[in-house]
Amino acid sequence: MAQEQITLYTAKVCPYAQRTEIALAEAGAPFKRYEIDLGNKPEWYAPKVNRASKVPAIAYGGPDVAPENPSPESTKLAESLILVEFIGDLYPSSNILPADPVLRAKARFFVEIVSTKFSPNFMKFASGNPEGTHAALLTGVDAIQDILPDGAKYAVGDQYTIADIAFAPFWARLNLLVQKGIGAYKDEEGKSFLKALEDPKYAKFNGYVQRILARQSFKSTFHEVRPLLCR
Amino acid sequence: MSEQVTLYLHKLSPFSQKVELALIEANAPYRGYHVNLSDKPEWFTSKVNPVGKVPTLTYGGPRVDPEDPSSLSSKITESNVILEFLADVYPDSGLLPKDPVSRAKVRSFVDASTKQVEGPLYDFIRGLGSYEDLLKGIEFVQGLLEDGDFAVGDHYTIADACISPQLVRLKTITETDLGKFPVGLGFKLGEELKGSKFAKFTKYADQILERSSLKQTYDEVRIFPLPWW
Repeated sequence: MAQEQITLYTAKVCPYAQRTEIALAEAGAPFKRYEIDLGNKPEWYAPKVNRASKVPAIAYGGPDVAPENPSPESTKLAESLILVEFIGDLYPSSNILPADPVLRAKARFFVEIVSTKFSPNFMKFASGNPEGTHAALLTGVDAIQDILPDGAKYAVGDQYTIADIAFAPFWARLNLLVQKGIGAYKDEEGKSFLKALEDPKYAKFNGYVQRILARQSFKSTFHEVRPLLCR
Repeated sequence: MSEQVTLYLHKLSPFSQKVELALIEANAPYRGYHVNLSDKPEWFTSKVNPVGKVPTLTYGGPRVDPEDPSSLSSKITESNVILEFLADVYPDSGLLPKDPVSRAKVRSFVDASTKQVEGPLYDFIRGLGSYEDLLKGIEFVQGLLEDGDFAVGDHYTIADACISPQLVRLKTITETDLGKFPVGLGFKLGEELKGSKFAKFTKYADQILERSSLKQTYDEVRIFPLPWW
């Protein structure tokens, strides 16, 4: 059980940052939450917390200071997936990492599929890139459905893991955009995507995304603000 | 009784090499099987990895001939996923440290070397990438290096395994200028890396390149052309 202080630098709009917030919620870990305005970042943020100037970032340990005044003594960590694993390591009781190494590898492989097959297409779609078609989005959906287990609640079984945490914020934002018809993509692409998902062949995927959106740690950390692309 | 480990690899693949290095450094018993990627055996795609890529690791199940893989073994793919798997299966090997902050630092190094060096380096060799991006990536990774013999901490970790294939190929292109980049840029890169700005990186690289695990996995003679490049 960690006794060191955790300060999380985050932003409501950002799906990467939400991953970390979900992990902390699953762990029930006490932490200080500091919202970074991505459109107007504080000048101390890059030099003192994260050189890359992105969220999420964690300042771990060191003296108990105000988030706006980070101490050089705390360890600074960044990259959402690394932070999620870090929280899993600090709080094994969170259960976000399967105990079995093979299942753990499955969870990490699922994360790879999200990162390589889903997220890039989502980003293109949301930013109005002409390559971001509903067909491109569906290749991501197919890739994920292909590795979802049959008859299980979540990505690698009935246990909620880093795999689900990695995917949920991205799915939620895509879902929000197309349901509300907002975003830079062409209207007919959004409609075609929604129509395609009505096909019974996507029953497994649809059941899965319903469950991850219903997870308490997801709901408590998702803010229905108009999604920005935070990268 | 330990489970069987079989690594399907390609001798020229830097991704396969990462995994082999981790196995050797962990003193893990394994069988390596070189897959002819230009004439893939049918059993490889049907029984080992439907995507047909290496490295693929099989774990557990009966001890069978690598050419007769069992459906009972677990199949693990993606080199960085396999590295984490090995750290989980050999928790006392030091491949990942035990404390959470050190583990995060090792992972940060793996992430940085994958995104900032591995990608740009292989693009550069294929004539698709920029010299400046590669140099920036090396500088970034240098900034993460600690002061000891290893990338992070005082033991060989998956961070060292991850960057080693890149160091080997950097050495080759800087010494031979072989690659699809403009003529002379390989030599130029070598000169820059010998400068004081990159002293820390070069010191680390020289050390890692001396490790016997590396010599076991790399045949300096056969480097180019690479079948899928």
